[in-house]
Parts: sequence; C-alpha cells; structure tokens
Amino acid sequence: MSCPHCDVGPGRGTEGHDGAAHPPARRRRRGTGPGVPLDATDLPAARILLVGTPNSGKSTLFNRLTGARQTTRNAPGTTVELARGTWRPGPGRSAEERGSQETAVALAASSTLAIVDLPGAYSLTPVSPDEAVTAAEIARSTAGTGGAAGTAGTRRTDDAVCLLVANAAELHSALFLLGQVGALTDRVVVALTMTDVATVDGLVVDPDRLADRLGVPVVEVDPRTGHGTDDLAEAVRTVAANPRAVVGLPAPADDRPAGDLDRIDALLGWADDVVEAIDAHHSPTRSRADRIDRWLLNPWVGLPVFVLTLWALFQLATWAAAPIMGAAEALVTGPVAGVVSWALAGLGLGGGWFEGLVVDGVVAGVGVVVAFAPLMAMMFLAIGLLEDSGYVARVAVLADRLMRSVGLDGRVIMPLIVGFGCNLPALAATKTLPHARQRLLTGLLVPYASCPARLTVYVLLAGTFFPRHTGLVVLAMYVLSVLLVLGGAFALRGTLFRDLDREPLALVLPAYHVPRLGPLLATTGRRVLAFLRGAGTIIVAVLVAVWLLLAIPVTAGHTFGEVPVHDSAYGRLTDQVAPVFAPAGYGDWRTTSALVTGFVAKEVAVGALAQAYAVDEPTGSSPGELGEQLRTTLDETSGGHASAAALAFMVFVLAYTPCLATVAEQKRLFGWRWTLGAVAAQLTVAWVLSVATFQLLRLVW
Amino acid sequence: MNLAEVPPGAHVVLSSVREDARTSPGSGVRLRELGLRPGAGMTVALRTPFGGRVVLVGRRRIALDAATVRRLEIAS
Repeated sequence: MSCPHCDVGPGRGTEGHDGAAHPPARRRRRGTGPGVPLDATDLPAARILLVGTPNSGKSTLFNRLTGARQTTRNAPGTTVELARGTWRPGPGRSAEERGSQETAVALAASSTLAIVDLPGAYSLTPVSPDEAVTAAEIARSTAGTGGAAGTAGTRRTDDAVCLLVANAAELHSALFLLGQVGALTDRVVVALTMTDVATVDGLVVDPDRLADRLGVPVVEVDPRTGHGTDDLAEAVRTVAANPRAVVGLPAPADDRPAGDLDRIDALLGWADDVVEAIDAHHSPTRSRADRIDRWLLNPWVGLPVFVLTLWALFQLATWAAAPIMGAAEALVTGPVAGVVSWALAGLGLGGGWFEGLVVDGVVAGVGVVVAFAPLMAMMFLAIGLLEDSGYVARVAVLADRLMRSVGLDGRVIMPLIVGFGCNLPALAATKTLPHARQRLLTGLLVPYASCPARLTVYVLLAGTFFPRHTGLVVLAMYVLSVLLVLGGAFALRGTLFRDLDREPLALVLPAYHVPRLGPLLATTGRRVLAFLRGAGTIIVAVLVAVWLLLAIPVTAGHTFGEVPVHDSAYGRLTDQVAPVFAPAGYGDWRTTSALVTGFVAKEVAVGALAQAYAVDEPTGSSPGELGEQLRTTLDETSGGHASAAALAFMVFVLAYTPCLATVAEQKRLFGWRWTLGAVAAQLTVAWVLSVATFQLLRLVW
Repeated sequence: MNLAEVPPGAHVVLSSVREDARTSPGSGVRLRELGLRPGAGMTVALRTPFGGRVVLVGRRRIALDAATVRRLEIAS
C-alpha cells in the first residue's frame, strides 16, 4: 500500500516523504503514465466525465488538469474528437485541515483520476453529432445508477463522476444541463467558472449557497490559473465514494421521451427557482457584451470589422506565413541537410544514390512538413484567439444569411476565406465549427478555393496565350473557383449530406473575454504536434516515393539516382497518363508531369514545366522562353487550338485535387474513405470540366 | 403581434412559437430548451444585419435569424 504522502508527479512536493523507497501507488497499476494509452478496463478508481455548455471554460479546465497527459481519439464511428487524460491533483485545503479518516482513505485509493472531455452541449437532446456523443457517453457511463442491472459487458460497473462545468455568467443554461444530468446519475460535482465575468455584469454567484440549494458539491475554480482544482479533486473523490442526488429535481416521467415539452418546461422552471433562491437573478444593468455588440453587430461598424477580420485571416495564411515558412524550410534543407550529408560521408555512405535518397528525399520531405508547422500554428492561434474572445459567435451571426443560402453555418466562411490563401490552414480553421458533419462538408469544399500556388500557373498560361487579357482570364478562374465551392456545397447537401437539417440560427452569444495566451499556446502546440505526426508521416512517405520514381531509370545508360526526368519511372508514368488529356487538348508528357508534380505541391508545377523543357523558370511578368515552348507543344496537341487547350489546362489545375499536404491533413481529420473518395470525385469533375472547356472553346478559338 | 415588429429595447412576453416545416423537427425543442417558450419574458436587445435579432431571455443572449424571429408570436 502506498502512503498518502507519496504522491509522485510533476510539480508535487515530497512532503512527508522519508526517503524510503515506497513504490508509488500508480506504478502498481498496469501501465498508466504519460505516453501510455488509456485502456477502458485499466482505469484508476475514479473516472470523470467533463460536461458543460460551450464557452463554459470546460476545455480550458481539462487542459489545465491534464496538461501533457492527454490523448485524443475519435469517438467510435464518428469524426468527433474525444480528449482523454489523467489528472494528478494534490489533497484539498479542507482535507489537510480536517485530516479526516474518510478523506485519507479516499486519497490513498486514487491518486490519479481519469478524465474525458466531452463536446460542449446545451442539452442532452442533441442537435449535432458532437452533442450526440456527449449524450451517449453520459448515458453509457451512468447505466449503473438506479439499480439497473450492469449493462455493457466489458465496462466496469462503477459509474463515472459527472463534473459539470457551470459558467456563472450563464447559470441558467448550466442548471438546465445539470437537471438533465442529475436525472441520470447521483455522482455529480459542479465546477463554477467565470465568476469574474459574472461580477463585471453585477452578478454574484455564491458557490456555498448554490451547493446548499442543489445538494451536490459546488467548487469555484479558475481554469486559467488552476485555482480551486485541488478542492475540486476532493469533491470528486467524496462524491465517488458517497453519491448524492441533486435535490428538488422535477420527477422524470420514464414513459416520456427526453424531448418532451412538459419535461423541458419543468426543468426550466426548476432552474428559475434555483437562480431565484440564491439571489442570482437577472440584473437590470446592461451587460458588457450588450455594449460591445451594439457596435460589432451593427451593419455600419460590425460588417466592416467582420470583413477586416476575414482579410486579416487571409493575410495570415499568405504573406505573414511566407517568410517564416521559407526560413523553416531553408533551415532544414540547408544546415540540417548539410549535417546529414557530412554524417553520411563520415559513415562512408556519401556521394551515391543513398545520400540522394536521404537528403533529397527524406530530409527535403521533412523540410516541407516543418515549413508547414508555423503556418498551422499561426492559424490555430488566430482561430483560438477569435474563439476565446467570443468573437466567432458574432461571425456566425454576421455571415449567417450568406452561408445559409448554401445551407451552411455562418462560421464556415472563415475556413473558406482562409482557403483562398492556402488550403492547408483552412482545414485548421474548420476546428471552430461545432458540428462534425459541417466540418467534414467544409473540409471537402476547401480544395475548390483557388490558392496562390495555382495562381502561378494561371499567370504563366494567361500571360502566354492571352497577353492582352491576362487579368481578365485570371479573374475568370477565381469566379469559377467560387462557383465550384457553391456548386459543390449544393451538390453535397443534396446527396451525401442530406442529413444536415436546416437548423434555425438560435445561438447563445458568449460574453467577451480577453484571451489568455498561455493556455492558448499550449493548445496550439498540441494541435501542431498532432498535425505533424498525423499528416507529416504521409507527406514524407509520398515525397520519398516520388524521389524513388524519379531515380529509377527505365532506359539503358543511366544509373540509379541520376536519371533525366523523362528517362525515369516517373517519366514513364507521365507518358502513360498523358493520353488521358488528349480530349482536353494537352496530352503531352510535359504538361502531365507538371500536373503530377503539382499534386505534390502546387507551387512547383511551373518549376516542373521548366525542368521538363530544360529552360529557366520565367522571372518577372513575361512568360519568356517557357511560354514559347508551351505554345509550340499545345499547338501540336490541340490541333491548332492552343488557347482553348491552355484554358482547359487552367481549369484542370483549379479543380483537380488539393496538394499533398492538404490531402494528408484531410486523411487525418476525416479518414481514408472520405479523402480518397473526394480525390477521385475531384479528378473526375476536373477532367470533365477540362474536356468540356476545350471542346466548346475550340469551336471559337 | 410578431417579434419582427418589436423595436429594440422593448420587453415582451412570448405567446407562441410557430412550427416551420423547412427546419428540422428538433429545432423547436432546442428553442424551447433555450427558454423560448410560451409565457417567457424577453427583451429585444438589438437588431442584427439581414433581419435578425438578439434577444435576452433570462440571462441568456440569443441571436436569432430572420426566419426564426418571424416564428415568434408575442402577447400584445
């Protein structure tokens, strides 16, 4: 048995530790600890479900309690992420003061607590897949209450403790949810947050009075500083050992469904009564949010601020990120590659194809992935700032009418705008959507936003074939891009996303906060790491595969690793694929090569063309020699209708598939089935559009 | 009287919430759970662009779109 003084963990003092070798209790349990995945059958004594409305500080509290000791996995059968972690608190103040036997026993029994962060929900009758996961997890974990026979075979029969995070400034919403949870379980603890925000609006919520009225522990905590979390742990352990029901709840009528209107009214009435009883009722003064929203939701001030915000996000994804990404990539492909080459030379492996594979394949691939990290970090941070400040809810209101016309949530406008800057961070921006199916739908539409990398191809071709109307042609491509996004939304909503009901906009506007940078940076770091691990491995693997294809000679007279492009396996592959594009007027291996390379990274498509023609890339505004070579090729492949073929090529570049990094991130977020299905669909649509463009326009040009 | 006709700043009492076939069946339940039910007192806080409103129900500030606003009948 361990003694209560041996609570080993980061930041914990060794008070009472006498230096003897007590193996800490946690090591006796099989395999718990940082880095080891949590196993449902292997949990410490108390398991906690973190429940709360959106904007209650629930996730901030979760991150505060678990720190790095957390993993994220999708709830089975869904794309809804559930974060699970372990919490190692110290003894609460009152435990030390009382030194009661009961508490000491409880402490000894469980020095770690397993905790699951459920998606935010206003009610256990869900309106989104995310809320459905919350409701399902609570139902599953409270099956033992009320004497029901143990259900669900392999799970433990102990109920989880529901830790309800209650926003003091929105107490009524928290109480409604508490009422629903309280009807299902006797193991409830309330963590009262945002009391400072409530105080700004003249509202004081006394946790002790609330605890007396509710009959369950109410602990005031500040998730941002961790204040009160030790007392919270003590309350959880107490409730785990001695469950207490929420007092005074309206009796649930078992034969009535949860969505029954009378039941809802009864709960709302109960919440009203509790609020009255603790003198926390609505104060007549206007809240700070009201004063700010008078401007930010006003058409004359609010809409310009909104447009400015979108513009800032767009700039972040383009020119703000560019120098940082360039520096990151240069760091890897410069000094790091140099060190690797030197090391290989030292091992006697330098100079041959192996060095090429390691340096030009693996290290270069890692350089690409590392370059994306600052871009993703900046976008996660920016979106996080907007969320924590409360502004994202206002975006949902302002963009609602526009996005509703294609049946989408107003917040979707953010990833779509960012997508025109770069598709990859646009996927990061989808995190702000509260509905899993909306996130998926948006993630599938983002690739139709034309990014600046594609622009380089438009500029080259438009400059060569339409020198007097370059701007107009480029504009036409962007208009087509918007049409494809809208068209894609319609098509998907009418087919694979019919289940997306048209929800009315009834959005609870959170109070405004000044976001705290510390917790936000920690969350950003975690998300970037998840991206690097999940998408990074795919990116490096594909880049190495491309290097290999380029290195394998298929004609005589070349050694492995030193092959001109056309004589490599890659060149042979493009030869095989090129005839596919004959009906579109550009069935040549060089243009095909640019498309294949453009899949890997769109901005190197022009470079690949230049390489294929063995000329220099155009500098400045004139297409130069590359343009001339292209004209010759397209004249030939299109039978004299080079301009039409050029436009068809541009249409294909716009629509065919996002770049490798975006596809890899799509796979990480949505899984292989959706990602590969989307790639196949996009290739098909792009080919059809490209062929149609050529066949129609060649009648004119 | 319809909520759309109420000027900002006014306190009103909700009398009924009309069904809307174009929205999901669950939407009526969610509106109710947020406190928008017959007999609820609310204040119209502000107008939002494109015909929506922000209403105060209890301490909740709820943004509603134009279509939802038109579903809410108030006692005159």
